[in-house]
Amino acid sequence: MKWRVSQMVLAAVGAAGLSILSSSALPAKPGPAIPQSSVRRLTEAQYRNVIADVFGSGVEVVGRFEPDLRVDGLTAVGSSAVSITPGGLEQYDAIARHIVAQVFAPENRAKLVGCAPGANDPNGATCAADFIKRVGLRLFRRPLSAGEVRADVAQALSSTGKLGNFDDGLGAVLVGMLTSPTFLFRIDTPARGGSADAIDAYSKATRLSFLLWNTAPDDTLLAAAASGALDRPEGLQAQVDRMIASPRFNDGVRAFFDDFLQLSDIDHLSKDALIYPAFSTSVAAATREQTLRTITDLLIDHRGDYRDLFTTRRFAMTRALGPIYDVPVSKPGWSIYEFPAGDPRTGLLTQVSLLALHAHPGRTSPTLRGKAIRETLLCQKIPSPPANVSFAVVQDVNNPTLKTTRQRLEAHLDDEDCASCHKATDGIGLSLEQFDGAGQFRRTEHDIPIDVTGKFDKVPFDGVAHLGQLFHDSPKISECLVSTVWRYANARNAQTEDQPAIGDLNRGFAANGYRFVDLVRTIALDPGFYAMSRTPSTPAMTTMRTTISTRKTS
Amino acid sequence: MGNASLRPIMALAMIGLPIGGIALAADAPTGGIPGTRAFVVNGLYLSGGGDPKSCSVQSPGTYDVYLSMLPPAERAELSDPGKRGRLQKHMWDHFGFRRLSLWPGDFGGRAQVAKLPPDVKLHQKPTPEQVRAIAALNGFPEGRGSLAYQDQTLAYSSCTNPYDFPELAKGYVPYDGKISYGINLDGKAGAHDFTGLNGEKGVDNQLWRAVGCYKQSQEMNDPAVQEKVMLSARAPMLIEVSGIDDPRNDSDVTVRVLTGADSLVRDGSGKPLARASFTLDPDPSLVNVTHGHIVNGELTTDPVDLRLVFREQIIDNTRIVRKAVIKATFKPDGNLDGGLFGYTTLASYYDMIEHMTEDGADNVGISCAAVRLAIDRFADGFPDPRTGQFTAISSAMKFHAVPAFVIDRPTQTASSDINRAEGAR
Repeated sequence: MKWRVSQMVLAAVGAAGLSILSSSALPAKPGPAIPQSSVRRLTEAQYRNVIADVFGSGVEVVGRFEPDLRVDGLTAVGSSAVSITPGGLEQYDAIARHIVAQVFAPENRAKLVGCAPGANDPNGATCAADFIKRVGLRLFRRPLSAGEVRADVAQALSSTGKLGNFDDGLGAVLVGMLTSPTFLFRIDTPARGGSADAIDAYSKATRLSFLLWNTAPDDTLLAAAASGALDRPEGLQAQVDRMIASPRFNDGVRAFFDDFLQLSDIDHLSKDALIYPAFSTSVAAATREQTLRTITDLLIDHRGDYRDLFTTRRFAMTRALGPIYDVPVSKPGWSIYEFPAGDPRTGLLTQVSLLALHAHPGRTSPTLRGKAIRETLLCQKIPSPPANVSFAVVQDVNNPTLKTTRQRLEAHLDDEDCASCHKATDGIGLSLEQFDGAGQFRRTEHDIPIDVTGKFDKVPFDGVAHLGQLFHDSPKISECLVSTVWRYANARNAQTEDQPAIGDLNRGFAANGYRFVDLVRTIALDPGFYAMSRTPSTPAMTTMRTTISTRKTS
Repeated sequence: MGNASLRPIMALAMIGLPIGGIALAADAPTGGIPGTRAFVVNGLYLSGGGDPKSCSVQSPGTYDVYLSMLPPAERAELSDPGKRGRLQKHMWDHFGFRRLSLWPGDFGGRAQVAKLPPDVKLHQKPTPEQVRAIAALNGFPEGRGSLAYQDQTLAYSSCTNPYDFPELAKGYVPYDGKISYGINLDGKAGAHDFTGLNGEKGVDNQLWRAVGCYKQSQEMNDPAVQEKVMLSARAPMLIEVSGIDDPRNDSDVTVRVLTGADSLVRDGSGKPLARASFTLDPDPSLVNVTHGHIVNGELTTDPVDLRLVFREQIIDNTRIVRKAVIKATFKPDGNLDGGLFGYTTLASYYDMIEHMTEDGADNVGISCAAVRLAIDRFADGFPDPRTGQFTAISSAMKFHAVPAFVIDRPTQTASSDINRAEGAR
């Protein structure tokens, strides 16, 4: 297919620009706890999910996406701080063309397009309108206006004339939709009338769906938005409960923990094959899946206590991981493997995904592990090391006198500038030293028994199982989760005025037995999750307009 | 034997039966069941050698034998490796070798599609009666021919019927050295026995005497080759030692020699992947059980008749080794290296040679006829009570094995262990 897409893109960009303008032009309303509107770019995973939902999982999404931006540990927060570069738009355009080619391919066309010009529809205008309304509703997460449909149908017919083929003409419109900011960005629309500080029902549906399922709203949710049910508490509750009960809730929970634990970094993880021959790219991918399955098994399937993740002996397991865990795996596919009491594998901290991710290609790093745990699971900030620091002692793994990592790190701490940060990280990291750089268990290093004692919050521990229990019992662990879920849901960092609401969440989380599902449900039912300030001109909006303006002129 | 009582319990756990009201929830700990060590063998190599003066001339393969039978001019022309196809046709025409594909498909070589009796079904292995009927229908010599190429062809050649072509054994060279790898299997030091690499007298390894001077045997006897090649990776041999109280010295351990249904794969450094899990082959006859002892880290098993599987490319061979003994060392790196010694039955060994097919044997430089006649000649074990002819030949095979986990099929283990438990009452 040969298309001139730029006009379509610009038309769509124009429509989105108006939407943004209208939302930002409304009069400001005071209210310290009411957030500004946000514009969030779809993550790669979300884009893929939406395409699979709309066109089926058989339609391939091939291409390189604009990289997601991680802000303070979350790409969800970064999603409201990114735009699309001209180069990135070209990539989206290429991805869209490939999708459209599959949609209109002979083997898919009847199912995915469903109509064609005929005796009763000689130029295909009716077919084009039906298709644009149906697909547009799912892609833009709201019904297209009559004017939008008219414009798109006109564009399809015009393109048909130029390209000589109805499918090519309609396909050009679909490419335009797939490269439209209205699709690529989640843009809140304020509610008209009624609750002045809320977003409209379709924006609610979008926030809810991406939170719970990490994809765009399905037909049922869109229907609830159309009927006004979502604006009523009982209607909202019915939808939230339906979505949490769905198997697709797994996708939403997985997306959160994938972001929270930064597991996507495993895609780029590699180890020295001579040092860790059992570790491979396929093993790495399986470790990511293992962690997510372990989490959903506990938190969703068993409605378990979040804190138990740090003491659980139930690990999702597959044959590919057996060698690295040094255990027999009897069942094909994925199953839950329960390590016996007293086994060194206890809790999330001992999963290979986290152990290998926060280590060097050929050796462990208590510092990297400790830093990651402090920052991710305890929400503490650890400064980066100064540029002129010497790692010579630490890196000398064959040092004849400093045989263990602990000994080498202690020698490194003779430098007072380094000591302050290492005190925060290394105690936790050294408790994991019985797991090598690929996460494999070992008792000795250079024939010296590994010391895994340390202190957490002034409480001494001996071994990671003990540390896991201290984590389990520490309010810092659950508070960090609550604030991170809140930031993930709202795609922004919390401000001082948000703390009361987060405090309520913490109290509710504890009162409900630290059930993650209940925490998410509480957020999904909270009117604050759907609030939007009418304050004009936010940095995010300015960025968006700048980006769009750039694209218009490029 | 501290863990001996655990085995039936684990087996019952696998079929989900409660034992005494105890919930059996946990799987094996890191490192596997205490007191049990299992290994996957990444190659089982016929071994011998040790005498540098032997095999100064190698045994010729079928092509070389046939070329030597030709007039000089024809020999010169067909010796060109580039004319291998013409040489093959020449030889097949000369001896009347036949190869028929039983159903449409590309089986390489010189296969023609067979005429089939009406009761032979497509892609179903013919019965022995049907094989005879197909052979007769397609003009094979009476009573000749057998299935080949994974039962997809019917062949008549020096490999299917080696006794029909004794001329192809011409030029055969046995290993005539005095030294060989192996052990003394019969406790005697006979005139034809070897001296072991460690000086042991009466070493029995007549299989090496029979085939040790073939190029392929010598190549596979090279440790450097053994390190790089994984044999029978599709059906790897497994060795499980259980009931270990002391890995250095234990007077009684249980040893199972098994066949895996999962393929052996390489790790990131190109070596066999250690600590992988292997489900057992469903054939219960491939579960071989014996006892053994460990002295200074060396395992020696009691003699036992073993059924092993060798599955490599088109070969799918069940090898039977009688009065087999394993002597192997637990290495500091966790591996197990050693040898498997015993009397390999002639039928099961030749079955492997025949599975190579005429083309395969010719290409690796083996003469099926010479091998058949040689193993008959040097066989030294298990005489047939009726004819007095030996039915097995002493042999020695080296192996290298890496740690692995054995996954019993529930019904297999449950029944065998339950029976054992019942027998103990």
